[in-house]
Amino acid sequence: MIKKITITRGLSGVLLLLAVTVLPIPVAAGGKENRGITKCDIHHVACVQTLAQGTVTLNILPKPVKAMADLTFQVAITGVPTLQNPFIDLSMPGMYMGPNHVTLEPVSPGKYEGTGIFVRCPTGITLWRATVTIPEKGTAHFIFDVIY
Amino acid sequence: MSSIDPLVWVFLATGFTVGFGHCIGMCGPIVISLSLNLRTANTTWPHLLYNAGRLTTYTLLGGIMGATGSFTMVTSRIADVQKGVLIFSGVLIVVMGLMMSGWLTRIQCFGDHSRLQSFLAGGYGRLIRSKSIAAYYPIGLLLGLLPCGPVYTALIAAARAGMEASSMQTGFVKGMILLLAFGLGTVPALLLVGKLAGLKWLTRRSLIYKIGALTMIVMGGYFIIKGIQF
Repeated sequence: MIKKITITRGLSGVLLLLAVTVLPIPVAAGGKENRGITKCDIHHVACVQTLAQGTVTLNILPKPVKAMADLTFQVAITGVPTLQNPFIDLSMPGMYMGPNHVTLEPVSPGKYEGTGIFVRCPTGITLWRATVTIPEKGTAHFIFDVIY
Repeated sequence: MSSIDPLVWVFLATGFTVGFGHCIGMCGPIVISLSLNLRTANTTWPHLLYNAGRLTTYTLLGGIMGATGSFTMVTSRIADVQKGVLIFSGVLIVVMGLMMSGWLTRIQCFGDHSRLQSFLAGGYGRLIRSKSIAAYYPIGLLLGLLPCGPVYTALIAAARAGMEASSMQTGFVKGMILLLAFGLGTVPALLLVGKLAGLKWLTRRSLIYKIGALTMIVMGGYFIIKGIQF
């Protein structure tokens, strides 16, 4: 009986060690997370997502889009009346990196601009998500690779 | 009700959340290595000192970000140091694993007087075998420089707070407080992992200890590769 308990405890210890060592591996975007998300090649084009009422276009400059550099985020909204300025949240699918918020300011009707930074994850995973939120109207998710 | 910037609470909560996710993954192997290295000693104080060192580095970096108001300028200057720290921590974990398993003393391929062996067994060995728990504070100071995504995110917030601050001094203090809050949030998770890995029933099981040592060697190798690629 005692031996059984010891073995069980031992195995849980090994599992604990193994569990913490595999945790850095993020869950790739897939399954449900892919719904309503536009995957695009941000290094060459602006990303466009169609909402129920209009479209949201996200462009990031300079290109190619690199991590750990100051970047300009441009958002163009058509067909959706905006009462407040939209904003962008940058995150990694499957790995919480903390709140990385890009504030946008209007530059012309329906067009907004702000500066932000993608941080570099030492795991080497380069997949990032930009969520454009139009207050009270909806969100548009864009997924793309960032150069480290 | 409170005059504390709401962002401080946000980053305290962020630290707590990423502590139980990201930090356990990135710093877990280091914390477990420290625990297993302290085979017979009380692990609480060394872990507290390790975390205090880490927090000191975070707080200072936050202050610098807040004072300069520029994330990219500071990170580009410390990138090489961070790369070195990542490789150093990988080597540290590998050496700890080798010494724990007893395999390091059996390595003869370098010869008795090889510089590499002297460095490993001498420098790292002294650090690892140090009986003074005070050694864990400088280890924390150094490993606080490990490149880490959530820490970078907190540093971006500190730089932004600095940009909006009325003076460089105010930015420095704001940045320090933000990173201190973030760092404090990460402490419970790492302390818990350290305590669990340091449980006597675990460290006294020879087989588990050997498997733990092997896992550490593999993880250390992973850190070294990531450091070279960084």
